[in-house]
Amino acid sequence: MREMCRGFAFPLALGLAALAGGCSSESNTTSSAPATSTAMAMPSDGASGKDWPTYHGTFKSYHFSSLDQINSGNVKDLQVAWMHFPGRSVRGVQSMPLAQDGVLYYSGSYSRVFALDGATGKVIWAFYPELDEDLIKKQTHTPYNRGVALGQGKVYVGTMDGRLMAIDQKTGKLAWETKLINSKKLTVGFTGAPLMVKNTVIIGAQGGEWPYRGPIFGVDANTGLKKWEFLTVAGTPEAMKTWGNNSWRTGGGGGWMPGTYDAESNTVWWGTANPAPLYDWSGPDFQHNGARPGDNLYTTSVIALDPDTGKLKFYHQELPHDAWDFDSAVGEFVMIDRDGKKLVVHPNKSGYIFVYDRANAGVQNVWRITENSNFVKNIDPKTGALIGRRDLTAGKVDQPLCPYIAGGVSWNTGAYSPATGLYYKIANEWCQDMEVVKTRPILEPQAQLNIGANFTLRAPPGSDKPWGHLDARDPVTGQKKWEVKYRVPPLASVLATAGNLVFVPDAEGVLHAYDAQSGKELWSHSDGVGHDGGIISYSANGKQYVAVAAGWGGMATDDYGAAFGEPFKSMSKDSGALIVYALK
Amino acid sequence: MPSKTIAMCVLAACLIGPAAFAAGKEKPMSDAQVNELFATTCGWCHQNGGRQAGKGPKLAGTQRSDTFIVNRIKNGKEGAMPAFEGSLSDMQIKGIIHYIRHLKSD
Repeated sequence: MREMCRGFAFPLALGLAALAGGCSSESNTTSSAPATSTAMAMPSDGASGKDWPTYHGTFKSYHFSSLDQINSGNVKDLQVAWMHFPGRSVRGVQSMPLAQDGVLYYSGSYSRVFALDGATGKVIWAFYPELDEDLIKKQTHTPYNRGVALGQGKVYVGTMDGRLMAIDQKTGKLAWETKLINSKKLTVGFTGAPLMVKNTVIIGAQGGEWPYRGPIFGVDANTGLKKWEFLTVAGTPEAMKTWGNNSWRTGGGGGWMPGTYDAESNTVWWGTANPAPLYDWSGPDFQHNGARPGDNLYTTSVIALDPDTGKLKFYHQELPHDAWDFDSAVGEFVMIDRDGKKLVVHPNKSGYIFVYDRANAGVQNVWRITENSNFVKNIDPKTGALIGRRDLTAGKVDQPLCPYIAGGVSWNTGAYSPATGLYYKIANEWCQDMEVVKTRPILEPQAQLNIGANFTLRAPPGSDKPWGHLDARDPVTGQKKWEVKYRVPPLASVLATAGNLVFVPDAEGVLHAYDAQSGKELWSHSDGVGHDGGIISYSANGKQYVAVAAGWGGMATDDYGAAFGEPFKSMSKDSGALIVYALK
Repeated sequence: MPSKTIAMCVLAACLIGPAAFAAGKEKPMSDAQVNELFATTCGWCHQNGGRQAGKGPKLAGTQRSDTFIVNRIKNGKEGAMPAFEGSLSDMQIKGIIHYIRHLKSD
């Protein structure tokens, strides 16, 4: 059974109990009391209610809770209700918890999954998958996990060794697992959360600077059978033509964060990662020169897929021939209806925020949230065309590139409040000195990063250190209402609630609550370690809770010790917790 | 040594060479080849080509022994640096150590 469960490229229908038992024998699972959920109820107004059933709260990606027991008048009385420690928290806890029927589900590093009583934190079950540790030792973007999906009575989680697993939601036992990619050869696997759409579990592989073709998969939620696979690198004949010199073979791409679903049009929206190498030396004639001549479709794009077939409906490439690692992998697609238009707002890692028509990804507006940006002079707000591209050549780059590789915005999410009409989003101000170096993809004996540069973090012009800010803006026009500045760039997700509150877990380990209308800080509390994960609100037994992932470490955060000193120099990168707050 | 950690990305990545550097070709690497290898997989963590601390420690001027560095490259360090044993040849590792020993701080 072990071989059957792990056979590469051989999706196994293991939904039956007997087979599940065989596979789950590989896992260390404890169970005491069953959870009770089956079907997923998804509010249609964009606000999550007592539950938080999917990564982005609801399919509208608002990260907004309609709960208001905790509000701007009483948030001063917020305190820790309970905590849970997942153990082995290498590079922190980066996941977005989910909540359903009073049970809280979340994942830790090494794809550990927990079901906890939402009111008390009592462990209902814990699932520790047996992973290919020899492989994981050789990975760079590892061993964190960014979340699970719920549906069809199961909890779904990806693994770094290339599998998608389904766990019985009541018992915590493995229901099925499917090997989707050959991680031993490609080195990468799954760290992002899956997205549950109807009866299909959708999950995107890591990619970007890794020389493969960045697949996104649709898997039958009941059986584990792979239904479809979409290659974000040259996934159509049209796209194949945008990769000169057969560079599609090592093109990167991927879609490692969960997108969302528009039920009205039966469309999955997904953001794709950058091409490899990260930095190209083509110079201005990138259509003919450099490592990967051409536009490099469908990297650094938003793509619209049919969830039943995986077929591409339409797309918009946010940065044609991305030569700066400013990908579109942010999974946040904020759906706004305004003036008779159905819009979707998507942040690009560069700090430019794209507003699209949900019918066809036609560009409706583009605005910028960062102050420091020079990879282009601008992006045309009417067409999305890049104006004044800064395509680099091999050698020392004469002026720092802004923003830094960690991005003007992070992969973590912002929040939109339909109550205030404001979009709350973190942006960071930092740049890098760099030298572009011609490289070649490494495929043997095992694929490796393809960076194409040496670089160094730099403060933006006029500042001694990099810094960050929380902005409250109109999501469509970008008009700013207020801003909170941070001495250290925050990276974690943001939560807005109907209690007129915005919660920001910062990098130094402090959870802040602000008045959603004014930005005035109303409350704060130290969680003792930096934040780089999710935050949600839910209700259990009629009481509102706020759950935040705490824990430090990762590809962006690992720079902070050298850049900022304490508390980051001594901050543990193997400690993490889920910390849950409630009113006294 | 600013940190006991030899950064995960840098050294570990350096152990895996491009096809042109594949194991079996046990010719010493040229400086240009090592520079390319470093910029392919190491530079993300060992900033400015290893001349400054970033995700990983500054490599220029390190007091660590060759034995320590070889061990760190081969075995990595959980949460800090990947393991490159089996990916980089002994000659490639020698090339990386040669590169580190000749780095000058900015």
